[in-house]
Amino acid sequence: MSDIVFSGVRKAFGSAIALHGLDLTIRSGEFVSLLGPSGCGKTTTLRMLAGLEFPTQGTISIGSRVVNDVPPGKRDIAMVFQSYALYPHMSVAENIAYPLKKRGMPRAERETRVKAAAETLQLGALLQRKPRQLSGGQQQRVALGRALVRDPVAFLLDEPLSNLDAKLRAHMRAELIELHRSLGKTFVYVTHDQLEAMTMSDRIAVMNEGVLQQFATPKEVYEAPANTFVATFIGSPSMNMFEGALADGVFSHPALRVPVTPEASGHGSRLLLGVRPEDMTLGAGPLNGTIRVVEPSGHETIVLLDFAGTTVTVRAPPDMPLGIGSVLACDVKSSRLHLFDAVSGLRIAARFGAALPPA
Amino acid sequence: MKMVRRVAFNLFAWSVVGLVAFPLIWMVITSVKPQFELFRIPPTFLPETVTFEHYWTLIYDTPFLKYMRNSLLIAFGTTLVVIVVATLGAHSLVRFRYPGRERLAQLVLFTYLLPSVVLVLPLYLLMVWVGIANSLFSLVVAYTTFALPYALWLLRSFMQGIPDDLEAAALVDGATRMEAFIDVILPQALPGIISTSLFTFILAWNEYLFALVLVNTDEARPLTTGVMNMLISSFNIEWSLLMAASVMMSLPLVIIFAFLSSYLTRGFGAGGVKG
Repeated sequence: MSDIVFSGVRKAFGSAIALHGLDLTIRSGEFVSLLGPSGCGKTTTLRMLAGLEFPTQGTISIGSRVVNDVPPGKRDIAMVFQSYALYPHMSVAENIAYPLKKRGMPRAERETRVKAAAETLQLGALLQRKPRQLSGGQQQRVALGRALVRDPVAFLLDEPLSNLDAKLRAHMRAELIELHRSLGKTFVYVTHDQLEAMTMSDRIAVMNEGVLQQFATPKEVYEAPANTFVATFIGSPSMNMFEGALADGVFSHPALRVPVTPEASGHGSRLLLGVRPEDMTLGAGPLNGTIRVVEPSGHETIVLLDFAGTTVTVRAPPDMPLGIGSVLACDVKSSRLHLFDAVSGLRIAARFGAALPPA
Repeated sequence: MKMVRRVAFNLFAWSVVGLVAFPLIWMVITSVKPQFELFRIPPTFLPETVTFEHYWTLIYDTPFLKYMRNSLLIAFGTTLVVIVVATLGAHSLVRFRYPGRERLAQLVLFTYLLPSVVLVLPLYLLMVWVGIANSLFSLVVAYTTFALPYALWLLRSFMQGIPDDLEAAALVDGATRMEAFIDVILPQALPGIISTSLFTFILAWNEYLFALVLVNTDEARPLTTGVMNMLISSFNIEWSLLMAASVMMSLPLVIIFAFLSSYLTRGFGAGGVKG
């Protein structure tokens, strides 16, 4: 009923193009993350939805209403900024009440609402303080309070956790998930942190260089990335890529061979076989890699192996003996392999057999 | 040892202060001496008899109060016009994207490339042509032309320090552009606005050349040219009256500084925004 729809939205700043024709439908009540490296157009997308930037082309609608020419204050959305953007000269209570005041709500009702919002966010004792007297986490809560006091159709959050320390970030992540569930409102969340996107979202829109790469659930984005960008951007350490060619139903790379049956034709002859570090088994198998670098991190060890000139990252258990320069036998989980066209980068749906030793 | 250094430092500091303030002190002392005591040799430092007759003469027997009123009107008027235009202008130069914005900001400074002496005659002719010559208003306009560029730059640098997100947040919260400006930008820019007002006020209060050329009636003459015209002639300088007038001319500035200096420091301290 109040879906957010981008259709053919382009944005150019002079000759620099920030967004090339975006089509995206965010369903009412959904938690959607816009994920991508800096400069990918995610913040521009959010700011256009907020009404702080105007699309060069295309339309944006909220519900059934096209909002291209609607000023930010009349779009019934609330926004939390990366810098929190609290008004420094106003107290916490005045900050939270500001959007209500601008809507001409009577004082008594304003006070009730501010109190309720403060209660939800455990800000009750801080209402008379000024923003500069609060910690980062508290400022974050005030910014959230200013957003949710209005009961808007959608919440827009622009990297709201990036200024917090790691521990507080994990805590606030859980609180945001909780808040989304209890409010049942649409959340549009901009982040460059894949962990935040994966843990919180119903769906993730992965963006790069102003182009939407994939819009799908976290599980789908991880298990069936639409192209090599999504494949290597999601997951840490990122997916390993073997470049090779397909001949007689077998993908060949100097260090491994895998029987492949593509489900569609029309791809090029140069292909990329993708394997996530967690999808390689160590200790036995038809493949041999030379250990180059060993990075222990306590609960596991990240190992960089050399496979005939291709560097491959794998996860090893912390107690595994690993000598630099020695050879390690490995295997790949054939049910969890990915195939891409090396030229276009697009995913090729395929079924895989067990890996064979190199020819 | 520490004690000696402190005493020495204090002595030094106060002697510098005394040196700088001596003309002011001499001005105040002279203004309360009777005329016959002024030219005595050797001169007296403290007056033998204190008199306020010069002040009364100025207030009751001369157009001094009229000049004072003119000066106040001109200085406040100029400050008001400059601040209103400069705050809005600086906001535009900082926040809005339009072609030639940087060029425009630089162009504004061209006013200072020419000496005022060169500008004053064309300006006078312009005033005559427009029909506002010889009025308080003409001086407000003239002072605005040379106070505005500086005020614009000063406020621009202040406003560049205000995060864009604050205004964006106000807009999303339902404010119009003007409301966001008044509710959020102005309070943040207040220390800058106060120091710019101070600068503009002093400039307008002390200005001499434009007042001399543009205005030649007592109805519109400010203190600077008025007092000069009244007390200094080719044959005689009324020293006692001149000193009393000088003391009274300095008073408004002293009062304004006394009030605003505390506000200024407080404002600068409170300017920090986290994030």
